[in-house]
Amino acid sequence: MPQWPVADFDPVRRLHVIAATAPGSARIDEAVLDAPFDRVWSVAADLERTMPLWIPDVRTVALRTSGTTGAPLQARIHGHTRLRATFAIDLSPGWCLMQSRLVLGGMAAHPETDRTTRFAFLGGLRFPGARLLAPALRPFTGSPLARFAALLDQDIDQEIGQEGKADG
Amino acid sequence: MQEPPPGLAELVRAAQGGDQLAVGRLLDLITPYVRRLCGPIALDDGADATQEALIAVFRKLPQLRDPAALFGWVRAIAVREAVRHATRSARSQPAELGELPAPGDPQLAADIRDVLSRLSPEHRAVLLLRDLEGLDERETAALLAVAPGTVKSRLSRARLSFRKAWQQ
Repeated sequence: MPQWPVADFDPVRRLHVIAATAPGSARIDEAVLDAPFDRVWSVAADLERTMPLWIPDVRTVALRTSGTTGAPLQARIHGHTRLRATFAIDLSPGWCLMQSRLVLGGMAAHPETDRTTRFAFLGGLRFPGARLLAPALRPFTGSPLARFAALLDQDIDQEIGQEGKADG
Repeated sequence: MQEPPPGLAELVRAAQGGDQLAVGRLLDLITPYVRRLCGPIALDDGADATQEALIAVFRKLPQLRDPAALFGWVRAIAVREAVRHATRSARSQPAELGELPAPGDPQLAADIRDVLSRLSPEHRAVLLLRDLEGLDERETAALLAVAPGTVKSRLSRARLSFRKAWQQ
């Protein structure tokens, strides 16, 4: 059989499809981070510990499993302001999509090189008219990628510090 | 083309209703097929063409009435988007048309990508739909919005180009 070419695709492109087609208002930002994929995703996927450290208006994240095979993970998220919502979450390596009744969030990552990772963050609102309100709601949906990059550096520094102590 | 999997109708209805986790899962389901359609037509621009095709699919999803017809409906949108994208791309290098080997011809197995690169996106689309997807002339003509005679002449001229390319 002839080997017909198959187009490349990755989770970051997939998140762009979600951002471009989601009802309401969704904003996506991406950056190439100076860390390998496994490192980036171990920080990003540690939702309870790291989401409050870098995502706007997230104070606490409490995960719970639904107990049903194949059903999405659930998280109760409280914000610094009025955010109190239960999110359904699809989480797999390089991919996280989460939605509550009013809010849509997502992350995607794929290796750019052995040492760098393309990482994207999506924040959005799921109600009609959200596009008109988007500028006013930017603190909730704005890009926190700089904070995520700083968190990544901090985690790496801490790990190096711990390894140094162990070696000493 | 793929057989519709169990639970497809419910998934399509949920995605049409604005459930973004359902959209994500539907993306998972159709992306491999869209990559196989866009790869041979858009070649090096396959990833961009796949992304644009998927955005077009999900923007039009509310128009899909019969979920069982999903894959045929996706094919029509994806092939048109891939041709449009490849035609627009500066890297598109339509060459003189000649002849393609018939299905099963060992010449086709050698390096189909190289031979495809010598054809225009429209001719690649005809070849894909006739030889890989198994559509007849009438179906191919309807999908590409051209006369059946155009499909016939494009296919025979494309096959001639293939033979000439390999005889050089």
